[in-house]
Formats: sequence, C-alpha cells, structure tokens
Amino acid sequence: MTVIDKEPLSAIEEIQSRFEKSGYICDRHIATSIYLSQKLDKPILVEGPPGVGKTELAKATADLMDADLIRLQCYEGLDESKALYEWKYGKQLLYTQILKEKLGDLLEDAVGLEASMDKLHTFGDHFFSEKFLETRPLLKALQSEKQCVLLIDEIDKSDHEFEAYLLEILSDYQITVPEIGTIKARTKPIVFLTSNNSREMGDALKRRCLHLYIPFPDAERERQIIKARVPEIDESLRNQLVEFVQQLRTQDLKKLPAVSETIDWARTLMLLHAENLDTELVRNTLNMLLKFEDDIDSMDPEVPKMVAAARKVNR
Amino acid sequence: MNRPLAEFVDMLRYSNVPVSIGEAVDAARTIDLIGYSDKALLKSALSQVMAKTTDEMVNFDQCFDEFFSINTELDLGEDLENNLQEEENIDPAEQVSESLNALDENSSPSGAPMGGGAGGGSGDTDQSGTGNGSTSAENDGSLLSMLERADRTALTLSMTQAADAVGLSNIVLSTQRGLFTRRIVEEMGLSEVTREISNRRKADDETGAEELDRRLGILFDAVRDMVERQLALTSAGKSLEFRQDFLKKVSLSNIEHRDFKVMRDMVRKMAKRLTDMNSRVKKVKNRGHLDIRKTMRRNVAYDGLLFETHWKQKEKDRPKVYAVCDVSGSVAAVARFLLLFLYSMNEVLPNVRSFAFSGTLGEVTDLFDRYGPEQAVPEAIERFGGRSTDYGRAMEDFRDLVMNEIDNRTTVIFLGDGRSNGTDPRVDILREIKNKSKRVIWLNPERKNIWGSGDSEMNRITPNCTVAEVCNSLNKLELVIRNLLKTN
Repeated sequence: MTVIDKEPLSAIEEIQSRFEKSGYICDRHIATSIYLSQKLDKPILVEGPPGVGKTELAKATADLMDADLIRLQCYEGLDESKALYEWKYGKQLLYTQILKEKLGDLLEDAVGLEASMDKLHTFGDHFFSEKFLETRPLLKALQSEKQCVLLIDEIDKSDHEFEAYLLEILSDYQITVPEIGTIKARTKPIVFLTSNNSREMGDALKRRCLHLYIPFPDAERERQIIKARVPEIDESLRNQLVEFVQQLRTQDLKKLPAVSETIDWARTLMLLHAENLDTELVRNTLNMLLKFEDDIDSMDPEVPKMVAAARKVNR
Repeated sequence: MNRPLAEFVDMLRYSNVPVSIGEAVDAARTIDLIGYSDKALLKSALSQVMAKTTDEMVNFDQCFDEFFSINTELDLGEDLENNLQEEENIDPAEQVSESLNALDENSSPSGAPMGGGAGGGSGDTDQSGTGNGSTSAENDGSLLSMLERADRTALTLSMTQAADAVGLSNIVLSTQRGLFTRRIVEEMGLSEVTREISNRRKADDETGAEELDRRLGILFDAVRDMVERQLALTSAGKSLEFRQDFLKKVSLSNIEHRDFKVMRDMVRKMAKRLTDMNSRVKKVKNRGHLDIRKTMRRNVAYDGLLFETHWKQKEKDRPKVYAVCDVSGSVAAVARFLLLFLYSMNEVLPNVRSFAFSGTLGEVTDLFDRYGPEQAVPEAIERFGGRSTDYGRAMEDFRDLVMNEIDNRTTVIFLGDGRSNGTDPRVDILREIKNKSKRVIWLNPERKNIWGSGDSEMNRITPNCTVAEVCNSLNKLELVIRNLLKTN
C-alpha cells in the first residue's frame, strides 16, 4: 500500500511505471483511476470495446498490490447462490439422514412431541451454520484477510436483479445473508467491474463507482504494448503492423480489431518469420485480426493499399 | 464544498450530466487530493468521478474546458486587459510630468492614439483625467477609483462579486443579456461614474470625461462578454429543458418537424425508464432457493428420503402486444411516436407486432426489424398511408391476418380517430377481438367531446373496447404504456 500513500502526482506516476514493468502499458488516466479508487474507497467500473485490456487491468492491479485476484464472471441468470453463497443442500440432507439414529438416541428420554421439540431447540441451528455454507467469489472476497482484488467481469451480462444485489457490497463492502446476518469485509477488496456496454448499467450502480473508459490505444501506445508483450519482434515490423491495425480501426467493420488481436497477430508474424508486411502475408493472416467473414471479404481489396501505407511508416 | 465546484456541478447538470450529491462530494474529495495545479490530471480524475457514460464524458470535457478557461482569465475580456495594460504601461512613464501638467491645463493635446478601437483618439490625453480623479478617490475601492487606476485585479473581483449579487448564473434567455450587463455594472457603482462624467463635462473637462467614458465602455464590453459566456454555459441546457417540458404536453400532431429529434430522444429516455422499472418481470427458473414443500411432496415416493430437489419458480409473462395504427393524416404523427415508443422497449416488450392501415391493412413488423423504428415509421406511412380511411376494411384484413393468433394474453392497441368516411367500421369484428384477447385499447388523438360527431364512429367503437382513451401527447402516451406494463 506504499504506492498510494505518496503525493498524488508521484503516486500516479509510480503506478504507471510499475504497471509498465509488469507488462501492462497504460496512460495516466488509468493510473489516476487506480489511485483515486484507493483514496476514495470506490470500485471502478471499466468500460470499453472488447479486447482493450479491461480484465488485464484488474490482473495488473492485483500484481501491483500483491493481492489475490478473485474473479466473478457474470452471465445471464447469475444469482446470489452462484455469486455469494449457497447452502450445501446435499450435505445437509446427507447429514440429516446419517444423524437420524443419533437423533433418536438424543431424544430418547423426552416424552411427547413437545418435550422432543424443546430438546431439539437446545441443539442450535447446526445445519445453517458456516459449515454448511458454500462460499462463492463475493463472500470469499469479503472474508479474505489478505488484500484482494475482486473482479466482477462483464457485469452487463448479468440481470438487473443481480446488479441491484451488488449495490450493498459496492458501497459498504458488506453483504447481508438472511440466515447468518451481515458480513463485513475483513480487508476492503479492490473492486473492478467491467462492462462491454451490451446494456446500460443502472444509475445506482454507476453512482457508486468511478467510471473509467478505456478506448483503443493510439499508435504510439500500441507500439509500446506490443513491445512489452512481444519483445522479440523487430522494430520495423512492429511499427508496420501497428500502423496497419490503426488503419483497420478507421474502417467500417462489424468488429474492430482490439489490442489482444494485435498481440496475437504480432505473435503469428513472429512464428512465420516475417520481416516486413506484404500483401500476401496479410491476406493469409487477416483472420487473426478480423473475426467476421464479411469483414475479411470487405477488407480484402483494401489490403494492398493499406500495406503500402503501413510500410511507409518506417521511411 | 467550495463555490467554484458547486457552480461547475450546476453547469454539468444543465449540460445533461446528472451529477448526484454523492458524486459531488466525491469530486470535492478528489479536488482535495489532487488540487487545481495540474489541470489535465484534475480533468481526468474528475471525469471519472462525475461522468458515468461515454455521452456524459463528451459533455463533461466540454464543460470542463469552458468552465476552467473562464475561471483563470476570469472575465476580463481580452480587450480590456490589453487596453488597460497599455495604459498602465504608459502611466508610469508619463505620470509625473503629465499629472503636473494636468494641474494647470485641462486639455493636453498629446500624441498618438492607442488602445485599438474602443478608445479612439482620446488615447493618452487621459492622464489629466486620471490625475484629477485619483487625487480625490485614490484607494476607496469604488468603481470610479478602480477605473481611474485601471486596476484590473480589483475590477475583475468586483465584476464577479457583482455578477453573484445580481444572480448572473440564473440567466436563461438571450434577451436578458442587456438587462444583466446593466445590472452588474450598476451593482459595481455605475451611478457614481456617470455622475463624475457629467460633472467633468460641466467643468469643461471634456477629455477627462471622454476618457472615463471610454474606460466605462471597455468595462461594459467586458461585462457583456462575461454575461455572454455565462449564457452560453447555462442556457443551452436550460432552454432544452424548457423545450422538453413543453413538448411532453403539446399535442403530437402539432409537433414541428425540427423537434422530431428532440422528441425521439425523449421517447427513448421515457422508454428506458419504463424498461428499467419493469425489467424485473422476467422468468426465474431453476435458480434461487430450495422449495422445501415441493421437494418433500415430490420425494414421498422415495420413502421420504429427500432425493430430488425442487426449486422455487417464478414465471411472469411478457405482454404480447399487437399495435394497429391508422397512418392517415393527423393520426400518423401520433402513430409515429406510439410505434417508436413500443419498439424502444423491446427489452420488456419483445413481442410487439405492428400493423398499419389507411385503406388496406398490412403488417409492418418486418420493417421495424429491418430498419429500426426511426426509418420504419416513415416507410410504413409511405406504404400504407395516404388513402381514405376505411375501418371496416382494416378490421377485415386484421381478422384475416392474425385473428387465430390472438389469445388471452394478447393486448391489442388500436390507434385511430374512428372516422371511417361513412363506411361500416365492422364493430362486430372488434367485439370478436375483444372476446378473444386479454384486452383491447383504443387510443384516439381527438378530444373526447368531438367523439361521435360527423363521421366519427367512436360511439359504436367504445363499448367494444376494454378502454378507449384520448391520447395526443407524449405524457398521455407514457401513461398508456405504463398501464399496459403494470397490469401484466
């Protein structure tokens, strides 16, 4: 936690440089957001097109803070029994069966139903104790002694109910389980929520979070990212391929190539021992960048022109 | 929370960035942390705290730039600054001799005009005036002395204070510009200055009076600038608010073409709100809590061993809506917004089928699927509109098309004025539809007191509907759809 205790400016710079060392290249905006979330105790809602490193940011932060990463992948139909806790019904049922005889023994001396009931009541609620509680990511994050990073991935895929359910944990770092009571966080987790904007998040949730939008990186940043992620690649090829991808992003495509795709493509080109981009090579590997047949078809005639433009970068 | 931040929050709210109190408090804490010194950093930090969508981010950027550019070179228009600067530069150089001269001669015809347009020829003859004035009112902080001393800092401060005093931030309309400018200068002490000018004129100190007048003119320009900028900040948001309030109430058929865009946004916003309110109406199955009672009952067969679990289930149907719209003439405008509304809500109303008619009736659902509501409506109007309305024919067509698909979960919405040009509206079919469906809603853009007049068949139609209502404004439309969702 030493990083964020410094003066704001140097802290933000330090976050940025430490991220860089761990291979996550980011601009000051992102580093500011990490700093603020720590200082204001707020979760970060990260938005942006797929593949710009939203999830990576959480991982990098876990690295930076030396914290465990607890990840909760959201999907339609996710509810508290999958996200927070669940009773181990099977175990409960099994134990009642096994303990059936035991119960008989215990209740032997009680006469009549009422006396048996009274006696039963003295045993306490063993079946609804923590031993029968299956912890799920959210509860795990709250119970963890060590600092942890809680990543709630693709929150936009979950239902409105679940979003509302999260509000308590997001604002107060606590959660209420009816049978047990309120569970407060032992160590406040660093919370990231990511969203691809497949639906708009509720105002209540947005109000509780910092909002960080990560766009596609510019050419300079993307070159840095490729350098960090695929260090083996030759500089001229790196410049060319980044330029090519940047050009692709200006086109009208169903799905624009993201950073992760650029990295994959760079690795592919490395495997193929390419030294320069050429039309044939790009055509053959275009499916690394574009994930729709329509996109590939529509870009095919443009390839020679774009390759030529990309190759100019080095001159 | 300090005052600039409060003003900034106000400004954001006017520019469609709804900053909540909590967010404003966060912003204050952020400023405490980061300070004002690094503006880029402050912007990036505040944007994360206050703007929560990408649209808001754009507005935020704009507001931030405008707001903070104003605060730094606060309200001293370039002209004034430059002019006064020049004067100040001149002052010390000539001060001694000039002020001495000024004692014996009132008009010193000294040289080159300066200070651009505002001052004109009377340029630096002013020193005489300055000398006269400043002897009497050196440092008493009145507008007169500030003008005489050309004290930019004091003037700026006084301007802002005066602006606060007259409530400049409440300016809404461009017609208020003059009023506010005058009020601010008055607040700063205009009367004293004008009195001084006329005194000088009387005392034959023509140059002194002119110079003071000139400086006053520069001040007016600067204040006008400030007012102008404030107006730009607040009015855009506020006047849109006014307009939207108005548009919600105004009759849909009277809405002008240029307002369609605003209307679309409003419809979308309303639809979103309704969607949010109703999206919990969803199917819940095989998740949630164990249904003990059902589990026990189901496991009786296994000798009471709880073998098969059963989960609590909730099922709630989404309404099935058939919208039948008259797209002739005046009704078309209402139809446009009804359809837009219905289709904007596809999250909670996924089963909308729409039909359009004037003479004949046809289904336009596929148009909506293909083009989206914005293009589809004009397309539908093009395809089916423009003929003389025949309700009987439309009913028959509707019966032939979908009668056997209507079940007791279907809501049929008719939108039309019920004016059938003398033809039989075939209310028998309408009755049949009512019997088969969950309900029939008839929306009529006409006022209720002219229902049944002329060729209007509303008196025959109304008994065969579950409800028949007037629907001619966006507010009414929202009400209808709200009810539609509530009773499902």
